[in-house]
Amino acid sequence: MRITRSMTRSMVAVLALLLAASIAMAEEKRWVSSEGTALKAEASATSENVADLSVGTEVAVVESGGRWLKVRTSAGKEGWVYAGRVSETPPAAEVAGGDGGIFGDSMKSSQIKTAKADSARSIRGLSPGAAQYAKDRGTPEMYRKSLDVVLARKVSAKELKAFLKEGKIGEYAQVQGGGK
Amino acid sequence: MRLILSVALITLSISATSESAGLFDSLQKLTDPASKERQILSGSSQVLSSSKEIDYPTERTIGESLALEGLQRFGNPVKNEALQRYVNLVGNAVATNSKRATIPYQFAVLDSPVQNAFAVPGGVIFVSRALVSILEDEAELAAVLAHEVGHVSAKHALKSTQRAQFFEGVGTITAASVRGDKGKKFASAIGDMQAVLFDKGLDKDMEFEADLAAMETTYRTGYDPSAMIRVLEKLQKLEASSTNKKGSWFSTHPPLAERIARLQAQLQKYPDHSSLASVHDRFAKTAKVK
Repeated sequence: MRITRSMTRSMVAVLALLLAASIAMAEEKRWVSSEGTALKAEASATSENVADLSVGTEVAVVESGGRWLKVRTSAGKEGWVYAGRVSETPPAAEVAGGDGGIFGDSMKSSQIKTAKADSARSIRGLSPGAAQYAKDRGTPEMYRKSLDVVLARKVSAKELKAFLKEGKIGEYAQVQGGGK
Repeated sequence: MRLILSVALITLSISATSESAGLFDSLQKLTDPASKERQILSGSSQVLSSSKEIDYPTERTIGESLALEGLQRFGNPVKNEALQRYVNLVGNAVATNSKRATIPYQFAVLDSPVQNAFAVPGGVIFVSRALVSILEDEAELAAVLAHEVGHVSAKHALKSTQRAQFFEGVGTITAASVRGDKGKKFASAIGDMQAVLFDKGLDKDMEFEADLAAMETTYRTGYDPSAMIRVLEKLQKLEASSTNKKGSWFSTHPPLAERIARLQAQLQKYPDHSSLASVHDRFAKTAKVK
């Protein structure tokens, strides 16, 4: 009886050890959570682009180097991403731009929809519903025009990168020697 | 709506367990269109589809309508294109690292003497000239804008009024659907949300949530997340000396001391925060222009 008990204990201990080891060996996962994220050849924003990663892409952490992580994509591509651009949990469908929760469209199609709505607005300004609301409420023309101007302002990904680089912010901080 | 669904599902499960035949028989009954179980299930699927969340174009229409009201109340945008562009760059820098990075965001500084900032559903965000004027660097501006982006991400304004449920399940709001009787309901819901955004303020927990989101988002972007605390401390000083608090961040938000305390506790999460960017000079050059 004693032998059986101790054997059982040993087996449990071995299993526990194996489980712990497998958890330790399992690579940590991260999910791309920022728009315009690129996989870089080195831990530097100015290094070569290995691939563009869309929001929601799952990557495995290979190595951590402060604010940069060496990761591998499911396609087997390895490179570095700025840690601020990935998160420890996958972005929810809605978060990724979907508009109907679990009943919503796929991330890709809703992104296209959003982009379409966006480009349409840049031509037409106020959405038709809001324009009708303004008409019914007698909103002075001055405010409608002001909002049109606000809605027409766009920031391209290229402008944003240049802005962050100039300010030595985020992924541009280390290369330029600090962000202050 | 979700409550009705839960009740329906509980009823279904009770009916399954109370019969001695058990779950298997109940499942079989589901295939019979005339069965009670099948009717309950089809009823619950209708509830599910009608509680579908408001779609993005509708959210945007609601937001733009509220933005029109906001402009009338707080004033038109400041006529300084360099400043407006700068605020859009800082705002978009944080928005791309927010929990809702895939919708377009627009930012504007309004010519208002009251220290305030607010976001309408869909991603239009306003900050007053008076609030910008008390800030000292780009990280502080980023914190204010990230707080507002946090409200948009979590759809706080939409969740703040029962009448917003009117929009649920109605499909996309078009010009036609804001006319007539529907138009009255639409205007009434906008009125409710206006009262929340401009007068009463959002729920306390929503403000705390947006504060924490601001810290996380600015940190992820590369700005010093303690900037959010610095902004609140500035407001606290102003609050102590201010007699007219109406419509400001003091009156529409929970007590500043409580917000600061919560953020200071959260700051432990970012031990390297002081090595991140604050960007004083660029801010001083662009945003301190009168």
